[in-house]
Amino acid sequence: MAATETVMTDRSLDELGPVDYLVVEFPAGVANFTGEMAKELLALVDAGTIRVIDILILTKNADGSIEPMELSDIGELGELEALEAQLAELLAEDDVVHLAAAMEPGSTAGVLIWENLWAAPFASAARRSGGRLIANGRIPIQAIIASIEADEAAATEGA
Amino acid sequence: MPLRAARVGRVGVIGHPVAKTAVVAKAVTPGAAPVARTAVVAAAVTPGRGLRRRI
Repeated sequence: MAATETVMTDRSLDELGPVDYLVVEFPAGVANFTGEMAKELLALVDAGTIRVIDILILTKNADGSIEPMELSDIGELGELEALEAQLAELLAEDDVVHLAAAMEPGSTAGVLIWENLWAAPFASAARRSGGRLIANGRIPIQAIIASIEADEAAATEGA
Repeated sequence: MPLRAARVGRVGVIGHPVAKTAVVAKAVTPGAAPVARTAVVAAAVTPGRGLRRRI
């Protein structure tokens, strides 16, 4: 049985937390993999904060072509080996092209899909209480800085 | 290396080419964000330590 099927039969849809993704780009020549990222990711998994659904490694060549790699294609997975066995392979071939659109030619990127386990109990409680999610999102740090700076500028002008 | 067969021929979940969030990535990169700004933002999002009133 595939990991995806196992997950969906063990847990009802109502208990599924929000699923997010990120793409971390490593420009050519600047990657410095010490195992620190894997350690922090596994800490989040072990703490029950997130469940990793999928991981892909993408390389965008100078001509714009994309070379995807599965986590299992990496020779020495180390502690990530246990994680790799749990991946649900959610991303499809189409997604690779879409995700790589943000990459610079010559760079390598890690794509991570995860479920926010921490949010699931609250979301379920909200639904049981009659609530429904009508908006969510992320506020960029830059937007917060811009807002604060605008306030400061207005205060200076008003002084 | 080729993708696993399970990823081929399926409908994707992303749906559109993603836009690069270069500015955000730069700001959250350790060492790239100015320390003073980081402190101001941290204060702004800390309960009870907000630097301004909403209205």
